[in-house]
Amino acid sequence: MAVTQHIDTTGAQAGADMAALTAERESHGWKWLLSLPALTILVFAASGPLLIVLIYSVLTPAEYGGVVWELSGRAWFQVFFRRDIFDPDEVTLNWSHLSVLWRSVSLAFQTTVICAILGFPTAWFISTRPPGQREIWLLLITIPFWTNLVIRTFAIQEVIRNQGVINSLLMNLNIIHSPIQMMYTDFAILVGMAYVFLPLMVLPVFAAMDKLDTRLLEAGYDLYASRWEVLRRIVFPLVRPGFIAGSILVFIPSIGSYVTPRLLGGGRNMMLSNLIELQFGQGRNWPLGAALALTLLVIVLVALVFYLRTIGGDEDKQHG
Amino acid sequence: MADRRDGPGSGDNEIEIKRLSKVFGQGDAAFRALDDVSLGIRRGEFFTLLGPSGCGKTTLLRLIAGFEQPSAGEVIINGRQVAGLGPNARPVNTVFQNYALFPHMTVADNIGFGLRMLGKPAAEIRETTERMLALVRMEAMAARKPSEISGGQQQRVALARALAPQPRVLLLDEPLSALDLKLRKEMQSELKRLQNETGITFVFVTHDQHEALTMSDRIAVMSGGRILQSGRPTEIYNHPAERFVADFIGDTNFLDVELVAVNGATAEVRLPGGGTRRATLPEGLAPDPGSHVTIVIRPEHASVTEEAADFEGTVEDAVFFGTDTHLNLRLSDAARFTLRRQNTGAGDGAMPEGSRVGVRVADGGIQVLRN
Amino acid sequence: MARARRNFSITALPGFASIAVLTFVLLYVPIATLVVFSFNEAASMSRWQGFSLQWYQAAFENRQVRDVSIRALGLAVTASAIATFAATLAALATTRTAKFPGQTMIYALVNQPLMVPEVVTGTALLIFFAGIKVSTGYTGMGYLVAAHSAFCIPFAYLPIRARLQTMDLTLERAAADLYANHFQTFRYVTLPLLLPGVLAGFMLGFVISLDTVVITEFVKSAGQDTLATYMLGQIRRTVTPEMNAIATLFLLLSAVVVVLFFIVSRKRP
Repeated sequence: MAVTQHIDTTGAQAGADMAALTAERESHGWKWLLSLPALTILVFAASGPLLIVLIYSVLTPAEYGGVVWELSGRAWFQVFFRRDIFDPDEVTLNWSHLSVLWRSVSLAFQTTVICAILGFPTAWFISTRPPGQREIWLLLITIPFWTNLVIRTFAIQEVIRNQGVINSLLMNLNIIHSPIQMMYTDFAILVGMAYVFLPLMVLPVFAAMDKLDTRLLEAGYDLYASRWEVLRRIVFPLVRPGFIAGSILVFIPSIGSYVTPRLLGGGRNMMLSNLIELQFGQGRNWPLGAALALTLLVIVLVALVFYLRTIGGDEDKQHG
Repeated sequence: MADRRDGPGSGDNEIEIKRLSKVFGQGDAAFRALDDVSLGIRRGEFFTLLGPSGCGKTTLLRLIAGFEQPSAGEVIINGRQVAGLGPNARPVNTVFQNYALFPHMTVADNIGFGLRMLGKPAAEIRETTERMLALVRMEAMAARKPSEISGGQQQRVALARALAPQPRVLLLDEPLSALDLKLRKEMQSELKRLQNETGITFVFVTHDQHEALTMSDRIAVMSGGRILQSGRPTEIYNHPAERFVADFIGDTNFLDVELVAVNGATAEVRLPGGGTRRATLPEGLAPDPGSHVTIVIRPEHASVTEEAADFEGTVEDAVFFGTDTHLNLRLSDAARFTLRRQNTGAGDGAMPEGSRVGVRVADGGIQVLRN
Repeated sequence: MARARRNFSITALPGFASIAVLTFVLLYVPIATLVVFSFNEAASMSRWQGFSLQWYQAAFENRQVRDVSIRALGLAVTASAIATFAATLAALATTRTAKFPGQTMIYALVNQPLMVPEVVTGTALLIFFAGIKVSTGYTGMGYLVAAHSAFCIPFAYLPIRARLQTMDLTLERAAADLYANHFQTFRYVTLPLLLPGVLAGFMLGFVISLDTVVITEFVKSAGQDTLATYMLGQIRRTVTPEMNAIATLFLLLSAVVVVLFFIVSRKRP
């Protein structure tokens, strides 16, 4: 599964015999030459521009967007603090930014928890189907995942909006008399993100469960473990790497989520991405936008480092 | 659940299998892995299920362990009906073919796992784990992970883990098949030693006839989901009741002969040379005199003789095996016959090709087959 | 004989099957609703009034929808083709070869778009391309093609690399042994064997490009809306079942591509 494979950056390469075949009589030049088209595109349209973001974050904003080439720490200051308009010496925390930051982290975390609660049993269910059926269930998980994000968010909106499926149903059944306001709340964002990112939890957890030897479960039950003990002491420790991978795969796009809060959260319930976009639109404060984008990147990198260290720790435990 | 307790009065059987069947799949794809099997395994014995792969021996073991549930029939362990119960509700433990050691736990934690699940106090767990480590001579490896010890050592840990909760029955699913020959021989005597020391009933699954013959108190030979014959190793070897059993265990000569007379458990059969000899009949079989039956003669139960030959044959070739030599003969009616000569002297026991030799079968060396 | 007792199953865990079924229901109810109401006769999206194809007709007749759809498909095909070409070469250079200095850096670069949030890449490209736009005056589709190609490379790279890793090196040795030169070996042995991986990579890239909203939103110039950004803008305004019809068609397209991807990337028996 494509999504789970990119975690496996250490995957086996360099067959030893191929190494022997090529090492002595070939230089590595041709490998760089073959990689050149990909590297050019990536440096030009992905990695290189990231450096420019770093530079822009320490420049002075121009009046109608863009920057003035003058070093300034203001953007980074503004990410966290604000000065009083009337008394520039009075510095307070910038709560409007911090609340967005907090909402992003909190919603991303909650999304991960919901995806874990639903995804873990689902992955188990799929991995315990007979081999022929398993592919079909996997396909059913995969299809929504490869469907356009906007379309899926639109579908969720149709379910939870005031005239949507849930409210119409409840009102027709006379359970409620006026619609429950779900749209434009944090709840809506949460539901939307969990819906959209759930497959990212299921697939890596499934991959880990697929590798789990059922004889270990048999051994557990044979040694008088209850269902709960088998789950806690055998299944969970052994699928933990897949579970952590899934959590990271859900957390990263959740915290950087843009479409879902924009459509379901409305203007007020912004997340970090929306705040960043605002600086390039109405805000016209590109350095602040750049600084906010880098803040987001730092959070993601911290999560990735945490992931790599946990996985590394797991491997140490397996091999002592 | 019908709680049928046969009670301790049901004899010395630790395990009672009654009309047990297991069908995998449904409809056209259905496969009957176990077909109406009944069996009693006695308390404290080393019992072996022997047969080729796909004969149902592992399925039977898994039904006893509780990993699979029967399609029909009963499994009674220590007088208690257990069909339908999970493995964690049965007083049996298993040594798996691939050992199935928990890769994320140390050797000691693996061994103590069952006791922990039973809620034993920590001191008892520690004490038993140490005793088990000593029993399988793995004290030095207690803190290692399964991936850090050799296959033979993993095998010992698997044994210790299964023995630690002191089960009534230990089930062993081809536990030696992954080991090399030398290690296998060592583990065979190790297993026998452990069984003697613990007094636990062992149910051992193997496809290796030598393993079965050397280790078991009793053997059940299985094929096609059925038990063809069960008994002590000497019974199974010397008096195979079915062609499959005779063929699967040891080298065998099959001859089609005429039955001259029936005399209780024995019969008189006419050998190719024209004379009659006494043969053993399988239990419960009473064929009519004059009918044709198949008899079995083991190669080592026949010898070359100068006088009083039962029949004669022409030497086709001789194969030297070190301790003995096989003479392959062609009999008058084009049947083939192999006999084994013990190499007691310095010679190779061979006879010149094409020479005619007389063959004498030892007393009690002729067994009539069912069918 | 009927059995009253419940049989123990090794792989069953309490409640797991129920949660799994619930998950699949939750996953498909919104999609099913969306599809069903695309066929609704009335403009309502909560009350069923009868079957009609009028919203599909409306969608087809909507010039703007046609434009953004064609642009999105064209962009997806172009970007994915470029990405697949570049990723195939990179995969050949970095898979089954001796480790070489800088290899880790190539991995990092290739996988970087997967790790960095889309909005960060979008921001970076917005700033970078804005500079180029000002200095060159060029405001065409090239920026979107470049951005989408870069974003698709890691997705195209994965199945190609996976395919290469499972390929038997001895086949190429055998070809070389039979007097094939490097190019002939590649042309007649490596490439045909690699083709399913390349196809899978192309399809993944295609779907990813169609799905890429945020980067597109940040990079596009005026009049360069793709279907995704068009829908993003429209959904916030008035929504009629026409949107359901458009969504349903693209859902169908994605589903077809994913099923094809599954078939192509399935291991040979």
